[in-house]
Amino acid sequence: MALLELKGVRKIYRQGQIEVPALRGVDLQVDEGEFTTVFGPSGSGKTTMLNMIGCLDKPSSGTIIFNGKELNELSKKDLAMIRRFNIGFIFQSYNLIPVLTAYENVEFAIRLINKYDNKEIRERVLKILAAVGLEGMENRRPHELSGGQKQRVAIARALVKEPKLVLADEPTANLDSKTSEEVLKVMVKMNKELGTTFIFSTHDPLVMDYARRMLEIRDGLIAEDRRREEINVSD
Amino acid sequence: MFLTKLAIKNLVRHRNRSIFTSIIIAMAILIYIFFDSLIGGMSELSYETIIDYESAHLQIVDKNYWEAKDELALDNLFTIDERVLEGVKNLTGILAGSRELNFSALLSNGIDNLPVMGKGIIPEEYLKVFALEKQFVEGDIFQPGDYKAVLGKRLAELLDLGVGDYITLLVKDNNNTFNTIDVEIAGLLHTSNPNVNQNIVYLPLDLAQQALSVGEQVSKILIRIENKDQASRLAEELGLNLIKANSNLAVYSWEELEAFSFLGAAVLEKQVILAIILVIAAIAIINTVILAALERLEEIGMMKAMGLQNREIVYTFVLESTGIGIIGGIIGIVLGIITIWFLSVYGMDFEALYGVDMASFGLPILGKIYAAWNPAAFIEVFVFGVLVSLLASILPAYWAADKDPVESIYHR
Repeated sequence: MALLELKGVRKIYRQGQIEVPALRGVDLQVDEGEFTTVFGPSGSGKTTMLNMIGCLDKPSSGTIIFNGKELNELSKKDLAMIRRFNIGFIFQSYNLIPVLTAYENVEFAIRLINKYDNKEIRERVLKILAAVGLEGMENRRPHELSGGQKQRVAIARALVKEPKLVLADEPTANLDSKTSEEVLKVMVKMNKELGTTFIFSTHDPLVMDYARRMLEIRDGLIAEDRRREEINVSD
Repeated sequence: MFLTKLAIKNLVRHRNRSIFTSIIIAMAILIYIFFDSLIGGMSELSYETIIDYESAHLQIVDKNYWEAKDELALDNLFTIDERVLEGVKNLTGILAGSRELNFSALLSNGIDNLPVMGKGIIPEEYLKVFALEKQFVEGDIFQPGDYKAVLGKRLAELLDLGVGDYITLLVKDNNNTFNTIDVEIAGLLHTSNPNVNQNIVYLPLDLAQQALSVGEQVSKILIRIENKDQASRLAEELGLNLIKANSNLAVYSWEELEAFSFLGAAVLEKQVILAIILVIAAIAIINTVILAALERLEEIGMMKAMGLQNREIVYTFVLESTGIGIIGGIIGIVLGIITIWFLSVYGMDFEALYGVDMASFGLPILGKIYAAWNPAAFIEVFVFGVLVSLLASILPAYWAADKDPVESIYHR
């Protein structure tokens, strides 16, 4: 079942009098539970596409349908609500809130959806932190964590509310290969266990090794769309 | 609730900046409290100085005389029956009453002249209404029938006079005829009221009435009461009683005297200080919020990506600024209490400190000024400081929250 559909999506940025096309008419369908990477050279439009899928940006033309809703027609408030309840974000620079502990950073996301009581929230936050390998580090602040640990907190934050879609923009860019692999394994595991749909934007060949679908973007268009057999991830 | 927790944590995030902004707000609040207490102190002192030496608490006068009271004319004087006066003095809440005849005169020492205000008084009555008895620095009060006068030491110095010297008062009597009163100086006064010290000459009432050809008439009956806050009520009550004896008479309380008009200026001054606080606090808060927003751009972007709406992000900034306002307010109040305590105990001598004579500003004050406690001002300025902090942060917080999430996240 299609979670996401892009139909003829174009995005043009203006720099003074000059128009710079970032996406030139992208057509794409992503089903629930997919583990997809979007790759391509810098400036090819990967991040732009992810931002539009994540309701952070609007296309210049074309249609995006997420979970049966056409995003173009929604107000800023409605888009914020879609992000709040259905989408989790993981960024290259983690973007954790420095005054909050690892636990609180994750708790923040689940508090926003106002769905669980305090006891359930605590159980879910501790469970997801344990799942990403941060058991015992709940009370550490971001400056007390390594890069890999920070990215794990960001992953836990994105996943704790059990969103339909997780968008990860270069999630391993600041990590060494060993940590990258650990982080990727966590996400594959979450994909399997929770059925969460993942879309990555990356340059990292390691990320592509884990993907079941690979979209190559060149000059604002999907140049190649490949699928492959499921990857077995060992603990 | 979580956003509240985040706002509180953000408050200590840049501790030095939060403290610095709080101190700016605290200083603004302290300045207000300082001026308010000083103005309060001056007001209290002025009330006492004018009531104790010039106006008393209540004045019974002819209504027409009151209209032109500063002219010191001999029109619209009145006589009062001794029994009526005794009846007034015996009313509940009234301590004493005294007759007074006011007139303008030219005081001469034989060489130089100075315009003065003459007051014909009965010492026995007058010293029960006014606190002059202990203010004699030389000599003493005269007795009825004496050809003697009392004046301020400052006035005596101006004319190089002393106790035992003779003075001449040139007056215009009720028939518009010039007359002179030659009297010996019986005593010299030095009070905290500059007007008494340098402008007034006291004479026996009978002598003044004779010289001015006014018969038994007086300008005023001055009344001292137990509690100055009851003045308006007693003035009304007394007015109703007196109207039976003389329908032209009216009773005025000390609050109605023009000598207290400087209090209006003091209120205006406080409002100006409040406006300055508003500007200082607003600039400090706006600066703090903008700096915080610029530093937290990625965070703001992430919060928007997580689905927070603008108003929720604004809430965190506004709450943080309100917190700074509360901290600043508390520091300001604590410093205010310490300062006011010090000034209320030790006082402040403007003349000694800055060579400034309050009398030159029209304030009837000499010597030290002591701060007055005004708890209402503490509450007002605290609430005002917090409100300004809250309101000043709204616009910059909206500016921060309205940032494009993509630009914020990628720091474009």
